[in-house]
Amino acid sequence: MAKWGMVIDLDKCVGCQACTIACKEENSVPHGSPDEQRQRREPYWNRVLAVSEGEYPTVRVEFISMPCMHCEEAPCVTVCPAKATYHREDGIVIQDFRRCIGCRYCIVACPYGVRNFNFKDQLEKEYHRPDLPPNRADRGPWPFPRRVRGVVEKCTFCFHRIDKGLEEGKKIGVDVVPACVEACPTGARLFGDLEDPESEVSYLLASRGSFRLREALHTQPSVFYLHS
Amino acid sequence: MDITFAPIEGKSRAYRIMVVVLGVMVAIMIISYLVAYLSGYQVWGINNAVPWGQLITFDIYFIGLSAGAIVVSGLSYVLGREEYKPIGRIAVFLGLLIFAGAMVCVLVDLGRPEKFWRLFMYGYLNNMTSMFALNSIWYGGYILLMVVYLWLAIENKKRLAMIVGTIDVLWAVGVHSFTGAIFGLIAARDILFSPLKPFEFITAALTSGTALLTVVVAAAFKFSNRNLDKKVILSLGSLLRYIIIVLLVMIFFDKLTHGYFPHREGVLFLFTGPYWWVFWCFQIGMGIVLPLIILFHRRASKTVKGVIIACISVVIGVLGERAALVIPGTAQVQPLYPGNIEGIWGTAGSFPITFWETMLSLGIVALVALLFVLGLKFLDLLPAAEKVKEPVLVEEASEEVAATEAAENE
Repeated sequence: MAKWGMVIDLDKCVGCQACTIACKEENSVPHGSPDEQRQRREPYWNRVLAVSEGEYPTVRVEFISMPCMHCEEAPCVTVCPAKATYHREDGIVIQDFRRCIGCRYCIVACPYGVRNFNFKDQLEKEYHRPDLPPNRADRGPWPFPRRVRGVVEKCTFCFHRIDKGLEEGKKIGVDVVPACVEACPTGARLFGDLEDPESEVSYLLASRGSFRLREALHTQPSVFYLHS
Repeated sequence: MDITFAPIEGKSRAYRIMVVVLGVMVAIMIISYLVAYLSGYQVWGINNAVPWGQLITFDIYFIGLSAGAIVVSGLSYVLGREEYKPIGRIAVFLGLLIFAGAMVCVLVDLGRPEKFWRLFMYGYLNNMTSMFALNSIWYGGYILLMVVYLWLAIENKKRLAMIVGTIDVLWAVGVHSFTGAIFGLIAARDILFSPLKPFEFITAALTSGTALLTVVVAAAFKFSNRNLDKKVILSLGSLLRYIIIVLLVMIFFDKLTHGYFPHREGVLFLFTGPYWWVFWCFQIGMGIVLPLIILFHRRASKTVKGVIIACISVVIGVLGERAALVIPGTAQVQPLYPGNIEGIWGTAGSFPITFWETMLSLGIVALVALLFVLGLKFLDLLPAAEKVKEPVLVEEASEEVAATEAAENE
């Protein structure tokens, strides 16, 4: 079984937020008003942090693009009382809206702040999307054309794309990638099988120095960052 | 010596007004919940940075009050201390009602409250590594135990009440330690993560529970024209000061542990961040300093008024202690990447106090109070009022109670 992971090259990231927008479009994540954004009520499955260091004129800014880290030892999976968050066999941490009771314990427990509570019903209709995924019966009503309020949601590594690609026999990480990877104009993001030594992500991780966020917590994220 | 218990008459004007006011507040609570449910929790102060707000604060506060009240009831039913007999039943009843209020809080706080039953599908549909799921065992058992305990207390089955009471007191300690564990086990949050949290919760529960019980008992006896031995209040007060000292020691070492090593952002955020006043004014000022000053004051600690003021201060202070855990605990920015995170992702979470959320929390307090005053009318909770009209000296009064009751029993 593959173990999906993502590599983000901080050298190439320009902070354009194309990944954030592509994610919203792909997964029909609602956008919020400026007020909601300021109040931290707008859901983001992917976000880009600007982190500065030093004082002008010797200042250095880095862009840290953050999807869900899909940790191997995910605190959210441990604390979820309703089994709404669980690991798939391929390492993806899934949030099942139909099981979620909306207690928000996972938001408290997540060390990366990538989880979002859905505070209201979605106003706008689903974005146009030509590639509705298969296996709706198996996976439930994905991608939840009209999602419900009162549950927690998060990045899924676009598992619907992966599942469809595998069914069609395509190569994941080359022909089929998550929406954010596809949208990245500089190719800073790469997706692939971490357990396959031939994959590009494995090659990059072996050849360049990498780190993961908050490694001291030993959550073992599947998202790696290449040093800039 | 047995004390006869009797319901209050509940026919006075003040009683009726109180019931009506509390009823109106409960109605407002229902409306405010409907508003929140129909328009989503955007009408509350919670957000993705501070996901738990007023309702969780009141939830853990109530659970603490309930655990404290049950432990104090153990003084009468488990340890068999005669002087606490008059307040034994009221302590159990209060514990039960407040815990029911806590369950209402947590239920309405769920985003999808209709799915709460998932918490009770042990191991099958719920995840037993979650403290919430474990707590469903503790909470469910606690309610059952308290109902049985109250029934035994009212039926005056002393021996059984002692057995069930012992289990219930221990269970209450378990309930509140595991409530503390909900927070204490979260390694991602500096302010929450602490092995001391369960113990701190129990101690805070004992202080707030004892204090609230003292206030409620004093008020209930005064407004129903019953005489309570002054010693009961004073001895609860002197009990309270020792528990407060234990609490202070716990808080001190918890913060010291978090502040000793250079990795001390959490403590600094709590002490000097935007929520410093919740910690310093409420948790420390009203929860610890003011009551300790009063309770160790030579004269004030000997008067009922002094003890009651100290108790009210503790009741408010411990609510602040809960708020100082829930809100700054999650509002602190997580150290995602070394450096200064710009924009909203690097700003501490804000928690505005909103109308509907406040109405809902206050409404739940009113619900508990309403059930309590109705309980006084329909259940035998307070010692029977005396026939004497004239005010009597307190010490004499207690003897007279004994005398009249002995006569009645015969």
